Amino acid sequence: MLMPRKVKYRKQQKGKRRGKAWRGCEVTFGEYGLKAMEVGWVSDRQIEAGRVAITRFVKRGGKIWIRMFPDKPVTKKPAETRMGKGKGAPEGWVAVVRPGKILYEMEGVTEQQAQEAMRLAGNKLGIKVKFVKRFGKEA
Amino acid sequence: MPTVIEATARTPEGKNANRRIRQSGRIPAVIYGRGKASMAVSVDPVVIWNILHSDAGRNTIFNISVDGSAESPAMVKDYQRHPVKGNLLHVDLMEIAMDRRLVLSVNVELQGEARGVKLEGGILDFVTRAIDIECLPADIPESIKVDVSQLKINDYVRVRDLDLGDKVVILSEPDVVVVTVAPPAKEEVPDEEAAPDEPEVDKQAKGEEGAAEGKKDDSKKPESK
Repeated sequence: MLMPRKVKYRKQQKGKRRGKAWRGCEVTFGEYGLKAMEVGWVSDRQIEAGRVAITRFVKRGGKIWIRMFPDKPVTKKPAETRMGKGKGAPEGWVAVVRPGKILYEMEGVTEQQAQEAMRLAGNKLGIKVKFVKRFGKEA
Repeated sequence: MPTVIEATARTPEGKNANRRIRQSGRIPAVIYGRGKASMAVSVDPVVIWNILHSDAGRNTIFNISVDGSAESPAMVKDYQRHPVKGNLLHVDLMEIAMDRRLVLSVNVELQGEARGVKLEGGILDFVTRAIDIECLPADIPESIKVDVSQLKINDYVRVRDLDLGDKVVILSEPDVVVVTVAPPAKEEVPDEEAAPDEPEVDKQAKGEEGAAEGKKDDSKKPESK
Protein backbone atom coordinates (compact mmCIF):
# COMPACT_ATOMS: atom_id res chain seq x y z
CA MET A 1 0.00 0.00 0.00
CA LEU A 2 1.10 3.55 -0.62
CA MET A 3 1.94 5.66 2.42
CA PRO A 4 4.46 8.35 3.38
CA ARG A 5 7.91 7.16 4.39
CA LYS A 6 8.20 9.69 7.22
CA VAL A 7 5.67 12.04 8.80
CA LYS A 8 5.96 14.87 11.27
CA TYR A 9 2.79 14.03 13.20
CA ARG A 10 0.96 10.69 13.40
CA LYS A 11 -2.56 12.14 13.47
CA GLN A 12 -4.25 14.92 11.51
CA GLN A 13 -7.51 16.82 11.72
CA LYS A 14 -10.15 16.16 9.07
CA GLY A 15 -9.67 19.45 7.19
CA LYS A 16 -11.90 21.10 4.60
CA ARG A 17 -12.72 19.56 1.25
CA ARG A 18 -13.95 22.60 -0.66
CA GLY A 19 -12.60 23.91 -3.96
CA LYS A 20 -11.43 22.36 -7.19
CA ALA A 21 -8.14 20.77 -8.21
CA TRP A 22 -6.58 23.67 -10.11
CA ARG A 23 -3.31 21.78 -10.18
CA GLY A 24 -2.89 18.22 -11.42
CA CYS A 25 -5.98 18.56 -13.60
CA GLU A 26 -4.45 17.92 -17.05
CA VAL A 27 -3.27 14.61 -18.57
CA THR A 28 0.50 15.20 -18.50
CA PHE A 29 2.43 11.93 -18.61
CA GLY A 30 0.29 9.48 -20.62
CA GLU A 31 -2.31 9.69 -23.35
CA TYR A 32 -5.47 8.85 -21.37
CA GLY A 33 -6.55 9.65 -17.84
CA LEU A 34 -9.20 9.27 -15.16
CA LYS A 35 -10.52 12.55 -13.76
CA ALA A 36 -12.32 12.96 -10.43
CA MET A 37 -15.69 14.69 -10.79
CA GLU A 38 -16.41 15.11 -7.10
CA VAL A 39 -14.57 15.59 -3.84
CA GLY A 40 -13.70 12.67 -1.62
CA TRP A 41 -11.15 10.73 0.34
CA VAL A 42 -9.58 7.88 -1.63
CA SER A 43 -7.91 5.33 0.64
CA ASP A 44 -4.59 3.59 0.01
CA ARG A 45 -6.47 0.30 -0.48
CA GLN A 46 -8.77 1.82 -3.09
CA ILE A 47 -5.80 3.29 -4.97
CA GLU A 48 -4.09 -0.11 -4.97
CA ALA A 49 -7.31 -1.88 -6.04
CA GLY A 50 -7.62 0.56 -8.96
CA ARG A 51 -4.02 -0.04 -9.99
CA VAL A 52 -4.48 -3.81 -9.85
CA ALA A 53 -7.70 -3.54 -11.90
CA ILE A 54 -5.87 -1.63 -14.63
CA THR A 55 -2.82 -3.91 -14.76
CA ARG A 56 -4.97 -7.08 -14.76
CA PHE A 57 -7.08 -5.74 -17.63
CA VAL A 58 -4.24 -4.64 -19.89
CA LYS A 59 -2.25 -7.81 -18.98
CA ARG A 60 0.95 -6.73 -20.70
CA GLY A 61 1.93 -3.61 -22.56
CA GLY A 62 0.85 -0.18 -21.52
CA LYS A 63 2.24 2.06 -18.84
CA ILE A 64 0.35 3.60 -15.92
CA TRP A 65 0.91 6.55 -13.65
CA ILE A 66 -0.77 7.09 -10.27
CA ARG A 67 -1.29 10.84 -9.86
CA MET A 68 -2.66 10.84 -6.29
CA PHE A 69 -0.87 9.95 -3.06
CA PRO A 70 -2.45 9.00 0.28
CA ASP A 71 -0.57 11.36 2.61
CA LYS A 72 -3.35 12.01 5.13
CA PRO A 73 -3.63 9.69 8.15
CA VAL A 74 -7.12 8.61 9.20
CA THR A 75 -7.81 7.49 12.75
CA LYS A 76 -10.55 5.27 14.17
CA LYS A 77 -11.71 4.48 17.65
CA PRO A 78 -12.09 0.80 18.59
CA ALA A 79 -15.58 -0.77 18.44
CA GLU A 80 -17.89 -0.35 21.44
CA THR A 81 -15.85 2.46 22.92
CA ARG A 82 -17.46 5.40 24.72
CA MET A 83 -16.82 8.87 23.38
CA GLY A 84 -13.88 10.84 24.75
CA LYS A 85 -10.55 9.53 26.00
CA GLY A 86 -8.68 11.11 23.12
CA LYS A 87 -8.40 10.61 19.40
CA GLY A 88 -8.38 7.04 18.07
CA ALA A 89 -5.45 5.11 16.67
CA PRO A 90 -4.22 5.65 13.08
CA GLU A 91 -6.21 3.29 10.84
CA GLY A 92 -4.98 4.03 7.31
CA TRP A 93 -4.08 6.67 4.77
CA VAL A 94 -6.19 8.65 2.32
CA ALA A 95 -5.64 11.01 -0.59
CA VAL A 96 -7.83 14.11 -0.53
CA VAL A 97 -9.20 14.29 -4.08
CA ARG A 98 -10.91 17.40 -5.38
CA PRO A 99 -13.02 17.72 -8.58
CA GLY A 100 -10.81 17.90 -11.66
CA LYS A 101 -7.88 15.91 -10.25
CA ILE A 102 -6.32 13.37 -12.62
CA LEU A 103 -6.12 10.10 -10.66
CA TYR A 104 -4.51 7.65 -13.08
CA GLU A 105 -2.87 8.03 -16.48
CA MET A 106 -2.12 5.43 -19.16
CA GLU A 107 -0.36 5.08 -22.48
CA GLY A 108 0.68 2.35 -24.88
CA VAL A 109 -2.83 0.88 -25.24
CA THR A 110 -5.75 1.55 -27.57
CA GLU A 111 -8.42 4.04 -26.57
CA GLN A 112 -11.00 1.27 -26.07
CA GLN A 113 -8.64 -0.67 -23.79
CA ALA A 114 -7.81 2.46 -21.81
CA GLN A 115 -11.50 3.34 -21.46
CA GLU A 116 -12.38 -0.12 -20.12
CA ALA A 117 -9.35 -0.23 -17.80
CA MET A 118 -10.21 3.20 -16.39
CA ARG A 119 -13.85 2.18 -15.94
CA LEU A 120 -12.76 -0.83 -13.88
CA ALA A 121 -10.39 1.32 -11.82
CA GLY A 122 -13.05 4.00 -11.32
CA ASN A 123 -15.40 1.39 -9.86
CA LYS A 124 -12.91 0.81 -7.03
CA LEU A 125 -12.58 4.42 -5.93
CA GLY A 126 -15.91 5.39 -4.43
CA ILE A 127 -16.14 8.77 -6.17
CA LYS A 128 -17.57 9.87 -9.52
CA VAL A 129 -14.93 9.83 -12.25
CA LYS A 130 -14.65 10.52 -15.97
CA PHE A 131 -12.40 9.15 -18.71
CA VAL A 132 -10.36 11.91 -20.37
CA LYS A 133 -7.79 12.22 -23.13
CA ARG A 134 -4.81 14.53 -23.56
CA PHE A 135 -6.03 18.02 -24.51
CA GLY A 136 -5.57 19.13 -28.12
CA LYS A 137 -2.04 18.71 -29.47
CA GLU A 138 -0.37 19.38 -26.12
CA ALA A 139 2.91 17.67 -25.35
CA MET B 1 -4.71 31.50 -45.72
CA PRO B 2 -4.24 32.07 -41.98
CA THR B 3 -7.24 32.35 -39.66
CA VAL B 4 -8.24 35.84 -38.58
CA ILE B 5 -9.29 36.36 -34.97
CA GLU B 6 -11.51 39.33 -34.27
CA ALA B 7 -10.66 40.57 -30.79
CA THR B 8 -12.57 43.22 -28.87
CA ALA B 9 -10.85 45.48 -26.34
CA ARG B 10 -12.34 44.90 -22.91
CA THR B 11 -13.03 47.64 -20.41
CA PRO B 12 -13.45 47.48 -17.53
CA GLU B 13 -11.07 44.69 -16.57
CA GLY B 14 -11.37 42.52 -13.48
CA LYS B 15 -13.07 39.44 -12.13
CA ASN B 16 -16.67 40.55 -12.43
CA ALA B 17 -16.29 41.99 -15.92
CA ASN B 18 -14.54 38.78 -17.05
CA ARG B 19 -17.35 36.68 -15.60
CA ARG B 20 -19.84 38.70 -17.63
CA ILE B 21 -17.72 38.24 -20.79
CA ARG B 22 -17.67 34.45 -20.26
CA GLN B 23 -21.42 34.45 -19.73
CA SER B 24 -21.89 36.24 -23.06
CA GLY B 25 -20.05 33.40 -24.87
CA ARG B 26 -16.62 35.01 -25.27
CA ILE B 27 -13.50 34.64 -23.13
CA PRO B 28 -11.04 37.22 -21.77
CA ALA B 29 -7.61 37.29 -23.37
CA VAL B 30 -4.47 39.37 -23.31
CA ILE B 31 -2.25 40.37 -26.25
CA TYR B 32 1.42 41.21 -25.83
CA GLY B 33 4.71 41.01 -27.71
CA ARG B 34 6.83 43.03 -30.17
CA GLY B 35 7.68 45.56 -27.47
CA LYS B 36 4.12 46.82 -27.17
CA ALA B 37 2.24 47.26 -23.90
CA SER B 38 -0.12 44.39 -23.13
CA MET B 39 -3.75 44.86 -24.07
CA ALA B 40 -6.80 43.24 -22.46
CA VAL B 41 -9.23 41.88 -25.07
CA SER B 42 -11.97 39.30 -25.46
CA VAL B 43 -12.06 36.60 -28.16
CA ASP B 44 -14.29 33.82 -29.45
CA PRO B 45 -13.32 30.58 -27.60
CA VAL B 46 -14.42 28.33 -30.49
CA VAL B 47 -11.74 29.77 -32.81
CA ILE B 48 -9.04 29.31 -30.14
CA TRP B 49 -10.29 25.77 -29.43
CA ASN B 50 -10.00 24.92 -33.16
CA ILE B 51 -6.47 26.36 -33.28
CA LEU B 52 -5.38 24.29 -30.27
CA HIS B 53 -6.82 21.14 -31.89
CA SER B 54 -5.28 21.83 -35.32
CA ASP B 55 -2.21 19.90 -36.57
CA ALA B 56 0.28 22.52 -35.39
CA GLY B 57 -1.55 23.07 -32.08
CA ARG B 58 -0.43 26.15 -30.19
CA ASN B 59 2.34 26.81 -32.75
CA THR B 60 -0.29 27.79 -35.34
CA ILE B 61 0.23 31.32 -36.64
CA PHE B 62 -2.93 33.35 -37.22
CA ASN B 63 -3.78 36.99 -37.74
CA ILE B 64 -5.38 39.05 -35.04
CA SER B 65 -7.29 42.27 -35.40
CA VAL B 66 -8.42 44.34 -32.41
CA ASP B 67 -11.67 46.27 -32.98
CA GLY B 68 -11.17 46.23 -36.76
CA SER B 69 -7.58 47.52 -36.70
CA ALA B 70 -4.83 46.23 -39.00
CA GLU B 71 -4.16 42.51 -38.80
CA SER B 72 -0.93 41.28 -37.26
CA PRO B 73 0.45 37.74 -36.91
CA ALA B 74 0.14 36.12 -33.48
CA MET B 75 0.34 32.80 -31.64
CA VAL B 76 -1.28 31.26 -28.56
CA LYS B 77 1.31 31.59 -25.79
CA ASP B 78 -0.71 30.13 -22.91
CA TYR B 79 -4.25 29.24 -21.93
CA GLN B 80 -6.27 28.30 -18.86
CA ARG B 81 -8.99 25.64 -18.75
CA HIS B 82 -11.68 24.87 -16.19
CA PRO B 83 -10.48 21.84 -14.17
CA VAL B 84 -13.81 20.02 -14.27
CA LYS B 85 -15.68 21.27 -17.36
CA GLY B 86 -12.53 21.67 -19.47
CA ASN B 87 -13.73 24.81 -21.29
CA LEU B 88 -11.30 27.63 -22.00
CA LEU B 89 -11.24 30.40 -19.39
CA HIS B 90 -8.47 32.72 -20.60
CA VAL B 91 -5.90 32.92 -23.41
CA ASP B 92 -2.54 34.65 -23.72
CA LEU B 93 -1.86 35.74 -27.31
CA MET B 94 1.60 36.81 -28.41
CA GLU B 95 2.14 39.05 -31.44
CA ILE B 96 5.14 37.93 -33.44
CA ALA B 97 7.44 39.45 -36.04
CA MET B 98 7.80 37.21 -39.09
CA ASP B 99 11.48 38.15 -39.50
CA ARG B 100 12.60 37.37 -35.93
CA ARG B 101 13.53 33.90 -34.75
CA LEU B 102 11.30 32.27 -32.14
CA VAL B 103 12.09 29.78 -29.40
CA LEU B 104 9.26 27.27 -29.01
CA SER B 105 8.56 23.61 -28.42
CA VAL B 106 7.23 21.33 -31.15
CA ASN B 107 5.42 18.05 -30.57
CA VAL B 108 7.00 14.75 -31.50
CA GLU B 109 4.79 12.45 -33.54
CA LEU B 110 5.56 8.73 -33.60
CA GLN B 111 5.08 6.82 -36.83
CA GLY B 112 4.71 3.09 -37.27
CA GLU B 113 4.59 0.27 -34.73
CA ALA B 114 7.87 -0.70 -33.13
CA ARG B 115 9.21 -4.21 -33.83
CA GLY B 116 10.00 -4.63 -30.16
CA VAL B 117 6.34 -4.02 -29.30
CA LYS B 118 4.80 -6.00 -32.14
CA LEU B 119 7.02 -9.12 -32.06
CA GLU B 120 8.77 -9.11 -28.68
CA GLY B 121 6.02 -7.76 -26.42
CA GLY B 122 7.94 -4.69 -25.25
CA ILE B 123 6.41 -1.43 -24.07
CA LEU B 124 6.87 1.74 -26.10
CA ASP B 125 8.01 4.47 -23.72
CA PHE B 126 7.39 7.92 -25.19
CA VAL B 127 9.78 9.86 -22.93
CA THR B 128 10.00 13.29 -24.56
CA ARG B 129 6.83 14.49 -26.21
CA ALA B 130 8.08 17.94 -27.25
CA ILE B 131 11.41 19.33 -28.37
CA ASP B 132 12.62 22.90 -28.00
CA ILE B 133 13.65 24.54 -31.26
CA GLU B 134 14.57 27.96 -32.61
CA CYS B 135 13.50 29.08 -36.08
CA LEU B 136 11.73 31.75 -38.08
CA PRO B 137 7.92 31.72 -37.78
CA ALA B 138 7.57 30.62 -41.42
CA ASP B 139 9.77 27.54 -40.81
CA ILE B 140 7.97 26.14 -37.75
CA PRO B 141 7.32 22.42 -38.38
CA GLU B 142 3.80 21.16 -37.58
CA SER B 143 5.35 18.24 -35.71
CA ILE B 144 8.59 16.28 -35.58
CA LYS B 145 7.97 12.86 -37.09
CA VAL B 146 9.93 9.96 -35.64
CA ASP B 147 9.79 6.54 -37.29
CA VAL B 148 9.79 3.87 -34.57
CA SER B 149 9.04 0.84 -36.76
CA GLN B 150 12.64 -0.50 -36.58
CA LEU B 151 13.05 -0.17 -32.80
CA LYS B 152 13.70 -3.40 -30.91
CA ILE B 153 13.66 -3.88 -27.12
CA ASN B 154 16.13 -1.50 -25.40
CA ASP B 155 16.59 0.52 -28.62
CA TYR B 156 16.02 4.24 -28.39
CA VAL B 157 15.95 7.44 -30.41
CA ARG B 158 17.83 10.43 -28.99
CA VAL B 159 17.41 14.10 -29.85
CA ARG B 160 20.71 14.03 -31.75
CA ASP B 161 19.24 11.41 -34.13
CA LEU B 162 16.59 13.86 -35.36
CA ASP B 163 17.10 15.79 -38.56
CA LEU B 164 15.02 18.93 -38.91
CA GLY B 165 16.90 20.60 -41.75
CA ASP B 166 19.11 23.69 -41.82
CA LYS B 167 16.44 26.25 -40.99
CA VAL B 168 15.61 24.82 -37.55
CA VAL B 169 18.03 24.76 -34.61
CA ILE B 170 17.34 22.16 -31.92
CA LEU B 171 17.77 23.56 -28.40
CA SER B 172 16.98 20.42 -26.39
CA GLU B 173 19.94 18.46 -25.02
CA PRO B 174 21.25 16.06 -27.71
CA ASP B 175 21.47 13.14 -25.25
CA VAL B 176 17.82 13.30 -24.22
CA VAL B 177 15.94 10.12 -25.14
CA VAL B 178 12.83 10.77 -27.23
CA VAL B 179 11.39 7.28 -27.39
CA THR B 180 12.52 3.84 -26.26
CA VAL B 181 11.16 0.31 -26.15
CA ALA B 182 11.23 -1.09 -22.62
CA PRO B 183 11.20 -4.85 -21.88
CA PRO B 184 7.78 -6.27 -20.93
CA ALA B 185 6.83 -5.49 -17.33
CA LYS B 186 6.39 -8.32 -14.85
CA GLU B 187 3.60 -8.25 -12.26
CA GLU B 188 5.39 -7.24 -9.08
CA VAL B 189 4.53 -9.18 -5.94
CA PRO B 190 4.29 -6.79 -2.98
CA ASP B 191 6.72 -7.76 -0.22
CA GLU B 192 4.53 -7.55 2.88
CA GLU B 193 7.40 -8.09 5.33
CA ALA B 194 9.60 -5.40 3.86
CA ALA B 195 6.91 -2.70 3.94
CA PRO B 196 6.56 -1.13 7.39
CA ASP B 197 3.06 -0.79 8.83
CA GLU B 198 3.62 2.72 10.11
CA PRO B 199 5.79 5.52 8.78
CA GLU B 200 8.63 6.91 10.80
CA VAL B 201 7.61 9.91 12.92
CA ASP B 202 9.87 12.95 13.13
CA LYS B 203 11.55 12.68 16.58
CA GLN B 204 11.39 16.36 17.44
CA ALA B 205 7.75 16.59 16.41
CA LYS B 206 7.01 13.37 18.29
CA GLY B 207 8.34 14.96 21.47
CA GLU B 208 6.09 17.98 20.96
CA GLU B 209 3.12 15.74 20.22
CA GLY B 210 3.77 13.65 23.31
CA ALA B 211 4.15 16.77 25.44
CA ALA B 212 0.89 18.18 24.05
CA GLU B 213 -0.95 14.95 24.85
CA GLY B 214 0.55 14.83 28.31
CA LYS B 215 -0.52 18.42 28.94
CA LYS B 216 -4.04 17.59 27.78
CA ASP B 217 -4.18 14.61 30.14
CA ASP B 218 -3.03 16.77 33.04
CA SER B 219 -5.77 19.28 32.39
CA LYS B 220 -8.36 16.50 32.62
CA LYS B 221 -7.24 15.44 36.08
CA PRO B 222 -9.45 16.73 38.88
CA GLU B 223 -7.77 19.12 41.21
CA SER B 224 -6.99 17.51 44.56
CA LYS B 225 -7.57 19.82 47.43
